[in-house]
Amino acid sequence: MSVVIPVGMGELKVARSPETLAVYGIGSCVIVSLYDTKSKIGGIVHVMLPDSSGIDKERLNPNKFADTAIPALYDAIKAEDGVFKANLHAKIVGGSEMFPPTEDFENNIGRDNAASVKKALKKMGFPLVAEDIGGKRGRSIEFDLESGLIRLSILGEEPRDL
Amino acid sequence: MEDITSLTKIQLDALREVGNIGSGNAASALAQFLNRKIDMAVPSASIMDFKDIPAILGGPGTRVMGIFLKVLGEISGRFLLLIPEDTSIKLLKTLIPGCEIEDPLKMSELESSCMREVGNILAGAFLNALSALAQTPMLNSLPSMTFDMAGSMIDSVVADMTAVSDKVLMIETSFIESEEDLRIHIFLLPEPKSLRILLQKIGVI
Repeated sequence: MSVVIPVGMGELKVARSPETLAVYGIGSCVIVSLYDTKSKIGGIVHVMLPDSSGIDKERLNPNKFADTAIPALYDAIKAEDGVFKANLHAKIVGGSEMFPPTEDFENNIGRDNAASVKKALKKMGFPLVAEDIGGKRGRSIEFDLESGLIRLSILGEEPRDL
Repeated sequence: MEDITSLTKIQLDALREVGNIGSGNAASALAQFLNRKIDMAVPSASIMDFKDIPAILGGPGTRVMGIFLKVLGEISGRFLLLIPEDTSIKLLKTLIPGCEIEDPLKMSELESSCMREVGNILAGAFLNALSALAQTPMLNSLPSMTFDMAGSMIDSVVADMTAVSDKVLMIETSFIESEEDLRIHIFLLPEPKSLRILLQKIGVI
C-alpha cells in the first residue's frame, strides 16, 4: 500500500507516484486536481468558496477560494522538477448541496464553487478531463498518482474511477 | 465582534450558559417526546478550528444523520443536529411502532419526516429558551435532513463562515439516555455579525 496523504478543507498538497492523496467527506467544497501524466506528479486543492474578492489580502488563505486556489495549485506543482504545463490535466469533484432546500433557505455554495472553479481552469488553459459535480451526496476520493485515477466513493454506491 | 478569537473567558462562560439553558429545554422536550428520562452532558462553548469539528463525530468519513435549520431573527445563526447512525436507528424504532430500519440511507418518507420532526422539536425548544433569555424572538426555519458523511455536512454548513478566519464559535452539547446510549450532538453556530447582539442581550458586553 502506498503512502496516503490526507488533504483537509482549505489545504493544498502536492505528491508523486507511488503516493496517494485522499480527501474524506467532501460536501459543497470542490476538490481540484492537476496531474502531470509524464512525471506522475500531481496536486490537490480543497476549495471552499467561489470568490475571494472583498477579502483582505493580508489575511487571505488562497487555497480556500476558487479564483486564487487554482493559480496557487499550479505554482506549487510547477515548482517540482519535471512538470510541464502542456502535460497537465484537471479533474474536479464535489460541489454538492448536502441539505435539500426548504422554503426558508437555499444554499448555492456548491453550485457557485463548481462554476467558479471551471471558469478559473478555463482561464488558465487546463483541460478538464473528468468531473463529478453537484447532486445532494457527500463524496470521498483517493487520487492515485501512479495511475492518475481518482477513486470516488459515495455512501451506498459502488466506488468508481474518474 | 467579527473576530471571534477575541472573546473573553467571561463571554465564553456566558455562551456556555446559553448552551446549558437551550439544551436543558431541548432535553426536556425530547424526554417528553420519547417518554424517557434524558440526561445531558455539560455543554461546551468553544472557538474551534473548523477542521477539527468532524473528529467529534469520529472523523470526516463517519456516517451520521444531519438535521440542519437556520436560526432567524435579530440574532441569526445555524443550528445543526448530528446524530450517530446507531442512535438514529434507535430513535426511529422508538418513535415508529413496527419500524425495522437497518440502513438509514434507505429511510422511507415517513421515517425521514419523523426525524425532521425530532429536529424541529429540539431546535424549537432550544431557541425558545434562548429567546426568553435574550428577550428577542428567535425562530427556526423548516428542518432539512440528510444521512451522509460527517465531513461533507460540516463543510457545507460552515464554508461561508470561514472566508476570513478558520475559527468558528460552536456551542455543543449531547444527550445521553442512560439505558440506550442515545447520543445527539447539537451545534449552534451564531453568525459572526449576530454575536455582538447576542453578547449584549445576555449582558456580557
